[in-house]
Amino acid sequence: MTSVVSPEWVLKVDQLGKIFGSLSENGLALTGPDIGSSKDPVTGAIVAAWDVSFEVAAGEALGVVGESGSGKSTVMRCIAGDQSSTAGSVQIRTSPNEQIDVLSLTPSERRQLRIDKIAVVYQDPAEGLDLNVTAGGNIASPLTAAGWRNFSSIRSRASELLLRTEVPLNRMDDVVKSFSGGMKQRVQLAKALANRPPIVLLDEPTTGLDASVAAGVLDLIRGLLEEFGLAAVVVSHDFSVIEMLTNRCIVMNHGRVVESALTDQLLEDPHHPYSQKLVSAARA
Amino acid sequence: MSHSSSSSDQVVLDVRNLRKRFVLHTIDSRIVEALNGVSLKVSAGEHVALAGTSGAGKSSLLKSIYRTYKPTSGEVFLKLDDDSFVDLISLTDSELATLRGTQIGYVSQFLRAQPRRSTFEIVTKAGIQRGMDSDTAKQAAAYSLQRLNLDEALWDVSASMLSGGEKQRVNLAAGTISPPRLLLLDEPVSALDPVNRESALELIGTLTDQGVAVLAVFHDIDAMERLASRVIVLRNGVVDYEGSPKETLARLEGVAR
Repeated sequence: MTSVVSPEWVLKVDQLGKIFGSLSENGLALTGPDIGSSKDPVTGAIVAAWDVSFEVAAGEALGVVGESGSGKSTVMRCIAGDQSSTAGSVQIRTSPNEQIDVLSLTPSERRQLRIDKIAVVYQDPAEGLDLNVTAGGNIASPLTAAGWRNFSSIRSRASELLLRTEVPLNRMDDVVKSFSGGMKQRVQLAKALANRPPIVLLDEPTTGLDASVAAGVLDLIRGLLEEFGLAAVVVSHDFSVIEMLTNRCIVMNHGRVVESALTDQLLEDPHHPYSQKLVSAARA
Repeated sequence: MSHSSSSSDQVVLDVRNLRKRFVLHTIDSRIVEALNGVSLKVSAGEHVALAGTSGAGKSSLLKSIYRTYKPTSGEVFLKLDDDSFVDLISLTDSELATLRGTQIGYVSQFLRAQPRRSTFEIVTKAGIQRGMDSDTAKQAAAYSLQRLNLDEALWDVSASMLSGGEKQRVNLAAGTISPPRLLLLDEPVSALDPVNRESALELIGTLTDQGVAVLAVFHDIDAMERLASRVIVLRNGVVDYEGSPKETLARLEGVAR
């Protein structure tokens, strides 16, 4: 009926769920936004995320918004494989004839996926980097994992990445723990992009940075997403981050998706009571 | 053969019985009816100005068409390249996102740009997004910034450092470069001094020659008089009356006096 084509997804999350503990028979009905809790009152199990579905295409960034405890980081960690999931599926499709069912992979296959398919940038640089290793050494690690052996080509790729992420090259051989917060995030970005992954997950990438530093890092991220046509998931409680990086988002509350919308629509015309509360708090 | 620009085969935008109701959960679930069933059509090469007092629903209508507001009911048909019509309200978010920028443009009174991006880059990028190659986009960007009298010394300056009026001209240049088939304008010249306003209105006037369907909100009657092929007056979220600029504006001014 329509000749409007929906862009092909690269990452597809379908009814993803994560429960800590064992749920009582009616546990799902006893938790969620309407109840105002993610804790099963019978068993004490936590429904960290349930029935979360979305698709992301190349060159597109999807925002995941919500207060802390809403389940947004859980979703990201389940996709990245930092955490096992209880239900649902995560598919990635990097070419027409390559589709990977992420959740059915073995742990070693999942580690492989993290080398060149899905990169993660964490809020805490200590999660994404080895702080006792140099910037160059941190970037070399995914490269060697991907089979790079020649020292000088690794060096030159690392400097190319640091240049792109605006880290002064004379800091390449300094240990990362001597870097400022903003610079650590830039090194994380350089490392994440080392093997040109098609998918990048960003978990509060600028939270904790000074406003002026955060603006520079955000600007860099925006440029990288565009330049490499990445499919990105941006987890943040900060609407200015979401507004700058994404064009669509989902809102999570007590482990469930309560609204999905175009980002400008979410900001100007939020529908769910929880979204309205979040937006009006951010705009106050 | 009449040269009427509103012949039905030229219709680009066909809005039917559009309603928008806000439910404000944070304020005792108060209900605000912004649009109460608006129907209108805009054809290729036609400039339709929306008039009416503030609160009549002019901006709400533009935002509901662009889907910055999610309409409550009704249909918004847009003609596509293959002459088929698509109902914007029924599209998924990602389908709509692909149409934005290429098929539907929205120029508000404020520039929303990335902090460190230069003026010239913002305009050039808008052209590239709508299918121009990089060289053509650069030429077109230069032409349109010159037309809007934006001092060349500001072209490589980050847009966040510009004044309100300068930003508004950058916004207009980006919105009108290789214009999409439907352009929604919401007070695009509100911050401009008389000289710059003049050049901006001239630029907007050339859009209709290029076959763009324009639906615009201006707060000054003079701009509507000069640019509009038709004026639609809204009241309480519905179309009150419409007609040629001459008759509708005379009636509006009569009310104002």
